[in-house]
Amino acid sequence: MHRLWLSLAALLLATPAFAQSAADKTELVIDLAADAATLDPQLQWDTDSYSVYRNIFDNLVTRDQSGKIVPQVATAWHYTNDTTLVFDLRDDIAFQDGSKLTPEDVAFSVQRITDPAFKSPQLSQFDQIASAEVSGPHQVTLHTKTPYPALLAQLVKLSIVPKAVVQKLGDGEFNQHPLGSGPYKLDSWQHGVAVTLTANPNYWRGKPPFARAVFRAVPDVPTRVADLRAGRVDLVRGLGPDDAQALKQEAGLKVLSVPTERVAYLFINAQAGPTKDVRVRQAIAMAIDRDGIISALQQGYGVPVNEVLTPADFGYDKDVKPWPFDANRAKALIRQAGAEGAELAFLTSPVYDRRLNEAVQQMLQDVGLKVSIVMMDQPSYLHRRQGPPDQAGSLSQGRWSCACEDADGVIFPLFRTGSIWSKYSNPEFDKAVDAARQTLDPAARMADYHRAFEILREDVPAIGLFQDVAIYGARKPLQWTPTANEAFFLMDMHWAP
Amino acid sequence: MPRYLLSRLLQAAIATFGVITLVFFVMRLAGDPTLLLVPQGASAEQIAELRHALGFDRPLLTQYIAYLDQLAHFDLGESFVQRAPVSAILGARIPYTLALAAGALAVALGIGLPAGIAMAVWRGRAVERLLAALVLTGQSLPTFWSGILMILLFGVILHWLPTSGADGPASLIMPAVALGALAMSTFARMARIAVLDELQRDYVVAARARGLSLGAALWRHVLRNAAIPVITVTALEIGNLLAGAVIVETVFAWPGIGQLAIQSIAARDFLVVQAIVLFVSVTYITLSLLADIAYSLVDPRIRAVA
Repeated sequence: MHRLWLSLAALLLATPAFAQSAADKTELVIDLAADAATLDPQLQWDTDSYSVYRNIFDNLVTRDQSGKIVPQVATAWHYTNDTTLVFDLRDDIAFQDGSKLTPEDVAFSVQRITDPAFKSPQLSQFDQIASAEVSGPHQVTLHTKTPYPALLAQLVKLSIVPKAVVQKLGDGEFNQHPLGSGPYKLDSWQHGVAVTLTANPNYWRGKPPFARAVFRAVPDVPTRVADLRAGRVDLVRGLGPDDAQALKQEAGLKVLSVPTERVAYLFINAQAGPTKDVRVRQAIAMAIDRDGIISALQQGYGVPVNEVLTPADFGYDKDVKPWPFDANRAKALIRQAGAEGAELAFLTSPVYDRRLNEAVQQMLQDVGLKVSIVMMDQPSYLHRRQGPPDQAGSLSQGRWSCACEDADGVIFPLFRTGSIWSKYSNPEFDKAVDAARQTLDPAARMADYHRAFEILREDVPAIGLFQDVAIYGARKPLQWTPTANEAFFLMDMHWAP
Repeated sequence: MPRYLLSRLLQAAIATFGVITLVFFVMRLAGDPTLLLVPQGASAEQIAELRHALGFDRPLLTQYIAYLDQLAHFDLGESFVQRAPVSAILGARIPYTLALAAGALAVALGIGLPAGIAMAVWRGRAVERLLAALVLTGQSLPTFWSGILMILLFGVILHWLPTSGADGPASLIMPAVALGALAMSTFARMARIAVLDELQRDYVVAARARGLSLGAALWRHVLRNAAIPVITVTALEIGNLLAGAVIVETVFAWPGIGQLAIQSIAARDFLVVQAIVLFVSVTYITLSLLADIAYSLVDPRIRAVA
């Protein structure tokens, strides 16, 4: 109790942690939606956490502005066979404590995140890696269980941690006091309030653009907007389309947006209920006015997609055409299927956009289907959606991101027979996505995915609604081009001179 | 006195045990927490593995006994999301919520009680109507709306107060007013009714007839008797303040347990959510116990009856 009062007193007497005005050009103040859950980069992978910790660490490989995978800690890589990938590493990188980044650190980083005992929430993204070993003075070799084409795309997210420091501090301490080789080091972490980073003056890629960066946790969107308008912060994340419209009117502020690798889709149960009939599913695909959803609900912040994937992902097929919006044909198909007035359960939870649920409900009612929206808490929703087909309802909406920008991370878990999300089974589709998983040849993979998307178009176990857009608000002098993978690298930002 | 105290303590202990049990089973009834913790693309095997590692595949009764055993050692477990002890996570946030509740209570009592007494004393006058309008405003503005209005006025337009965060005492003002507004109205109405009630009693009329001034009658007799219902309401209002803090802390980015609750629900941090529910419930029980003890001290009749 005594300590409680002490901390209470300390709180009230505390000197402001970031009283400096946002106009101070050596500092960047950012409003995120939440505090970082962990600062250990091998634990949580949510947007708020990685926006902070990825600035403390370097990655084995990274993506450039166009989305191409390019070197970072690795200088080059080559396959010696279908399951063995060799990386040549830089030898001029130092961690923030001055120690050198070695191949041992790289191998350790892979071993740590793939160790089941570590229980990393990111494990499923790296569990195709069988082993990692140091194979030369500046070289590391990775072995995968099977040929695994998405390996490099996954490694974009692998932060390199210092083996000696992690082992000395232990996992719990390292999470509170992370140390990497990145452009910024941890200054303080005031839980629930802010994380403050300071520039690493010896950073190997050059001088970081800001002396200090403060990542504040501000959960409410209108408050983040108010912070920006009051000049307390320079950059805010996670705005909605309506906030963006309002901010555009403000002098001195601007809206930055980028289409992400997140796809909004409508799930249609192909294995139970009235939607078991493929004609009903095709009718639903034609009853949904996707352009209307993008312009009215998203205020234009959404990009039409041909399938359940975004153009930012490998495997996206421009040639597979989506079903056209045609309410009359949809009505005719439903009549043909004898499904007029059929009752469809639309499962949902508070996580999902209520307006989109209601828009879909209205559009389907217009073509003669009866849609009842079933609102549940998130665990109950997931339990039913991932459960047996007759429990999963007829419809639900979703936003899918594999954080790997590859079709393998999207349509495989969503539609492959046996996956918990799949309420659909087609051996031809399974063959195509399995094949795309087992070859490293991009052209062959593209052909497999073309086949897969053609099958999905006819079978309609879901339809892609739009490519989600990430919206940021910023003070005008801040120069930054956000990327599709929602990376939040301070090194890519700077103040206009 | 000891017998009364003992029976109230026993009641509180039973209620606490009931709450612990209820929280445990309700959280489990809501569904399998493992589903919330795995990444989107996880396979059925990966989910089963994690479920086993976290012990959620054990029989419910076994889990319940293990949970009671943990609680008996004041161990709230480790957050799977934040990878830190739940007690440490909660401990970092509780001072902020206490500071906010104290600030809100100061606003509520500091304005509400004098306003209520004034409304009773100057019944039917312009003062009462003016104060009634204030009370009505405090009562009817939803905090998520009044909060954002305050931020716009005092933060964005006037630049008097910080728009959000916890940068020292100035940051506490707006959240405390927003949170205290509703309780302020409750106190004002309570105090008005209680004082009016007492003012009309024979002993007050007699005291006034003996030549005691209104002020002295209020101070010596009325307020002491009117205090009993107010104490009860205060205790319950503190409980309400803790619950209401969820919205206010979210709007003002105040890092207390309310904001932690929202963050933990969004991040699916099962054990932290469970601990917060437990903390708020136990606080509620403790406060109502303290209220009972407090008015047995104020009013000897309660001790006598008990």
